[in-house]
Amino acid sequence: MAPAHVVLSSGFSRRYTGGLREFDIEAKTMRDVLKELDRRFPGLGEHLEEETTVAIDGEIHDQPTYFQVLRPGCEIFFIPKLEGG
Amino acid sequence: MNDVVGRFKWVGTRPIRPDGVPKVTGKAMYAADYTMPGAIVGKILRSPHAHARIRRLDTSKAERLPGVKAVITAKDVPEQKFEYVGPERVAVNFWHVTRNVMAREKVLYEGHAVAAVAAIDAATADEALALIDVDYEVLPHVIDVDDAMAENAPLLFEDMITRGVEPAPTKPSNISKKLDFRIGDIDAGFAQADVVVDEEFKTAAVHQGYIEPHACCVRVDADGQTEVWSSSQGHFVVRALTAKLLNKPVGDVRCAPAEIGGGFGGKTVIYLEPVAALLSQKSGRPVKITMTRDEVFKATGPTSGSSMRVKMGVTKDGKITAAEGIFKFQAGAFPGSPVMNACLCAFAPYAIENAHTTGYDVVCNRPKSAAYRAPGSPISAFAVESVVDILAKKIGMDPLELRRRNAAGPGTPMIYGPKLAHGGYLETVEACLNHPDYKKPLGKNQGRGVASGYWFNGGGESSASVQIGADGTVLVATGSVDVGGSRASQALMAAETFGVPYEQVRCIVADTASIGYTHVTGGSRVTFATGMAVVETCKKLIDDMRARAAMIWGVDPEGVVWEDGCAKPASSNVGDFKPMPLKEIAAKAALTGGPLTAASSVNAGGQAPGFSTQFCDVEVDPETGKVTILRFIVAQDAGKAIHPSYVEGQMQGGVVQGIGWALNEEYIYDKQGRLDNAGFLDYRCPVASDLPMIDTIVVEVPNPTHPYGAKGVGEVNICPPMAAIANAIENALGVRLAELPMSPPKIVAALDVAQPKLAAD
Repeated sequence: MAPAHVVLSSGFSRRYTGGLREFDIEAKTMRDVLKELDRRFPGLGEHLEEETTVAIDGEIHDQPTYFQVLRPGCEIFFIPKLEGG
Repeated sequence: MNDVVGRFKWVGTRPIRPDGVPKVTGKAMYAADYTMPGAIVGKILRSPHAHARIRRLDTSKAERLPGVKAVITAKDVPEQKFEYVGPERVAVNFWHVTRNVMAREKVLYEGHAVAAVAAIDAATADEALALIDVDYEVLPHVIDVDDAMAENAPLLFEDMITRGVEPAPTKPSNISKKLDFRIGDIDAGFAQADVVVDEEFKTAAVHQGYIEPHACCVRVDADGQTEVWSSSQGHFVVRALTAKLLNKPVGDVRCAPAEIGGGFGGKTVIYLEPVAALLSQKSGRPVKITMTRDEVFKATGPTSGSSMRVKMGVTKDGKITAAEGIFKFQAGAFPGSPVMNACLCAFAPYAIENAHTTGYDVVCNRPKSAAYRAPGSPISAFAVESVVDILAKKIGMDPLELRRRNAAGPGTPMIYGPKLAHGGYLETVEACLNHPDYKKPLGKNQGRGVASGYWFNGGGESSASVQIGADGTVLVATGSVDVGGSRASQALMAAETFGVPYEQVRCIVADTASIGYTHVTGGSRVTFATGMAVVETCKKLIDDMRARAAMIWGVDPEGVVWEDGCAKPASSNVGDFKPMPLKEIAAKAALTGGPLTAASSVNAGGQAPGFSTQFCDVEVDPETGKVTILRFIVAQDAGKAIHPSYVEGQMQGGVVQGIGWALNEEYIYDKQGRLDNAGFLDYRCPVASDLPMIDTIVVEVPNPTHPYGAKGVGEVNICPPMAAIANAIENALGVRLAELPMSPPKIVAALDVAQPKLAAD
């Protein structure tokens, strides 16, 4: 199965991953992605849950909800959370 | 999820809204209409200074005044930890939020709350406010964003170090945060361009201009249980913020929604509720506070004013090769302007391979900014869409054609990272290009301008419950405050899902104790996200009713289908049963398992962004500088218009607010940093006589993630008008206005300087 390609914003990578921005992660759901990122960078998962909106293959979700099922080889971008008026 | 290209019976029709009759007959209950037995009047003492240290605050005389039941200051408000928590965009710091609700060490803008009283009547409360003695040390202030960023500007916070800069600056400043977004190679992009335009722009802070002032009535019982009635765009957020600021569990705060007389983003935050709660706690009486218009202007959030620089490059054949934007936004007295949205939305309508945006969030001695319709995006759109117009002119191309050639579509990489997943923009450009009015001839002093806009739209958490009455009436409850006709839209989606007439469905907004958490009515999210909760709930009930029909018929539930409001046998093999309407199943509810009810909560994702393209014709009087809007055409992608009248209403409303922002609205400060125009006579919102009929083109490119294809429609319409009007004025006079508002004195001054083609004529 092709891994999910995960990209962090530069701000997040500066703060939490020593500048590393892109990761390939074997994952079936968003929960798997968050767990794996948290394993590699302890504490990162919680920050992503609290502070990000996520785009999966361009589809924006207000939060990285655990139940999102991922397509093999999908592209996941964690971006700063958006708020509207 | 569903067949979004299917034909619908109810979705897409225009029935009367359920809240229409009480509104037009004056019986609808807004926040200020509510009171409670024994309620007393709360009033707030506000700072007369733009910036001052509070040396001493003596409330003793006010407390002794007969009829005064409670007086509070910041000493009564729990302190909060200094930390930025929650989503990055808002980066809420409750140390700041509590200081905005009630000033502590310093006042940071004229109108900043410093104390509050509750008394038996308004006159006594006013008298008590006058008896509060505040000793201020007046400090230098700063209003303009460029001035606030200057080296020796007065500092609002002496220890504020800019976030987002590495290494961190050693000196404090008013710059709360710097943001940076990039895609491609900006230098290589400009090198490919035949024409490069680099311009500076300014926009004024403008208020959301809701007619209904903030108001609340709050009762705190002896056991701490708190009941709140207030005007907001989200009573769950009122509950969360009130509970947090008062250190209460959310379960101790029950918030009821009122009808809302406009919010536009400005009622997603709170000002009065914790103050009223503390006054109620101290006095033992319910406390009602209603802001005056003066207080609304001076103490509640406008959107940011800005200073911007935008540079874009284009080839002769109309390919935009590079774009760069620097956006400096006033946050007001505390950090948190919508500058990040400005950075992300600025170039989003276009497929530009090389782009760079930089944002600065800057505090200054103004009220703290609050969300306003697509917060941030209209501001950067004014600059970007003005520059796109200049580019088109320089290469001799129709401005809509330039936009068409560079339109972003599915697969276009966005500056914020992912590729765009949805279309809809190109269709709005083509709708305008094909509109017969776009080619109509113009007269003397008349001009035509076009512009586009982008907004993310929101999804997120929503809840709904549905019950079916014994007579078959469908009762829908959601947690979404109805700002723009959402009760009608939810009822339409319920009617469509059940297959029953719209008139059989009633929809209400339930309080925080009666329905699951629902995020604010903002971000153009309600029809999309709450609609998904409603449809999901209806489907649960359909499954239940299929099972009950199966029980009545004595067949397997799998053998029963739901069509046109009836349970039916799936095939003749199941049995020869007449279709059983919803009403008949409801009548048997007691015998088949009890009341028919269901509830759902969702965290909705996959919302598609909103795009709008607009053009307008203006006539400018060169002697007075007055701009008359002759024609305004707005095309916007709605996905699928659930209730087309309310979609059109949103489109027209956004344009009207944009016209005000473009031509007249601004905060005018005197030399002491005091607001000079805190009222609707001097803060000039457009009125009906200022406006032409605003023609709408509802473009429908369905969103496949929504059961009926809906996309948010409430916000993107306010993004293009400022630039469209600036471009039309330029087209009429040959003069480029780069600062909002483009009020008559500014136009006359620009004409005087530019010696335009009019003079030559």
